[in-house]
Amino acid sequence: MKGIKILVVLFSPLAAGWISLFLGAYEISPFLVLKILLNETLSVFEVGDLPEKAIVWDIRFPRVLTAFLVGASLSGAGVTLQALFRNPLVDPFILGISAGAAFGCAITIGFLEIFPIQLMAFFFAILAVFLACFIAKTQGEISRLPLVLSGVIVSAFFTALVSMVKFLVDPHKLQSIVYWLMGSFSLADWRTLKWIVPGILVGLIPVYLMRWRLNVLSMGEEEAKMLGINVGRERALLILFSTLAVATATSACGIIGWVGLMVPHLIRMLIGPDHKVLLPLALAGGGAFMIAADTLSRTLTSFDIPVGIITALTGAPFFIYLMKKGGKEAWGK
Amino acid sequence: MLEVKNLSFRHKGQKKEILKEITFKANSGEITTILGPNGAGKSTLFKCITGVWKNYEGEVFVKGSQVDHLSFEKRAKFFSVVPQDHEPPFPYSVFEVVLMGRASYVGLFSSPSKRDYQKAEETLELVGLYHLKDYPYTKISGGERQLTLIARALAQEAPVIILDEPTSHLDFKNQSLILSKIKQVVKEKGLTAVITLHDPNLASLFSDKIIVIKRGQILHNGNPQEVITEEVLREVYEIGVKIVNHNGINLVFPQIKET
Repeated sequence: MKGIKILVVLFSPLAAGWISLFLGAYEISPFLVLKILLNETLSVFEVGDLPEKAIVWDIRFPRVLTAFLVGASLSGAGVTLQALFRNPLVDPFILGISAGAAFGCAITIGFLEIFPIQLMAFFFAILAVFLACFIAKTQGEISRLPLVLSGVIVSAFFTALVSMVKFLVDPHKLQSIVYWLMGSFSLADWRTLKWIVPGILVGLIPVYLMRWRLNVLSMGEEEAKMLGINVGRERALLILFSTLAVATATSACGIIGWVGLMVPHLIRMLIGPDHKVLLPLALAGGGAFMIAADTLSRTLTSFDIPVGIITALTGAPFFIYLMKKGGKEAWGK
Repeated sequence: MLEVKNLSFRHKGQKKEILKEITFKANSGEITTILGPNGAGKSTLFKCITGVWKNYEGEVFVKGSQVDHLSFEKRAKFFSVVPQDHEPPFPYSVFEVVLMGRASYVGLFSSPSKRDYQKAEETLELVGLYHLKDYPYTKISGGERQLTLIARALAQEAPVIILDEPTSHLDFKNQSLILSKIKQVVKEKGLTAVITLHDPNLASLFSDKIIVIKRGQILHNGNPQEVITEEVLREVYEIGVKIVNHNGINLVFPQIKET
């Protein structure tokens, strides 16, 4: 039973990706999609110069891949930070990444248009986390509660700065800032992938390798130390790498909420809390969920709804359902 | 074997010494019990020995090698610690909790090996919990939880095992059950066990050696017959205590004042 569940989750991104490729404003048959993919990767079939080829390979496929990577990053970082903070309600933005990225985006669109948005969003996202860690550091150690608090402080500070920029810029620019902040994959193409793949892989691979230690770290600082874990160092590494993945993802497509909170929950309910299994499944599940949400966002209406709206619309009812159904159990107790 | 020499401790910036010149030896294959009223410094002593508090004076040796100032990774090879009952944030299975005892053997970027899994299974078998292997740790009884934590400590394969009030949340039956289990394992494996207890009866029944501390100082140190006496207990707990001998077993009970 457990084995089947694991397989289903692991293969869900493939299914979601395939469906996403043949749905859209221009309908393409599911088999032609496969043919085109095989043609582009292995050159088995010769499909000729169909317009479908450009739609599948140059427009939809990179978008699906980007959605997968971003979903996996948010969900993987969610699992990691929930374990580190020993709280199933923590999300990947708790240390101020989203507020930092938002400020980077706002100030670039508003005043510094010579810089690329993604670069500035990335820079300020990292800066925000760095500040949060710096503020939380007392007597050479970073403990859990001060870190949550300083995350709140840094987020509030950058959010205030974003409001200030919004207030000062002209309305046209304001519109693009707001649009970016809602999160969207509409600009994802092969060029985007080229620079997010390294950032996300460098972030996620070490987290993946260290996943079993999340079990031990989630037992609490003192207990983990007694079990022989260098808590300070390992926590710093895990925060660093997951921040790198999330900051890269956020800088590519804006702020997409709920995924990093919801998917880890779902997978934990399905498969249990052991991070050795939970983390890889959360990566796959997060990727699949994001592909599905993005497919909805571009097929529901004739234009692209920002995907952040879709995830929030599905996330809130989901949590209400969890609260009503599972009570305390659903929250990991 | 654990040896503590002249250990003194005070919190940073405070004058009051919480521990004063604590010196004792605990032998392998024996249970050494620390007895004392609340606030005597028992927990602080454990925190110093295991390195949670670092700024103490004095030395700690395990089997002749000095272990104060070692990193936690290295310390875990000398000490295993059974914490008081606690609730983990996620409902891990009993087996997953025991496997955590192998953390000091697992590399930074790797997962437990086959050997680690074997060890965890062996220790579960040893404490008699193998049938609960896949149960959520949050759903088992207090006694079973304590046994799980003991199994986890044993999986760590350290020569010294430290148990902070292993019976404090347990009922009458589980108290003696857990202590018998500890005694059996300690004898079998030649471990050095240092534990704290509140009940002088349990202490005299299960300990090989008892160390009595009060206000951060060792008052008495010896085998149960020497230490568990009316005079000593009166001195430590400041209440009237009676001891009755029944078939060679000393029974301690407090003298209740009629009001």
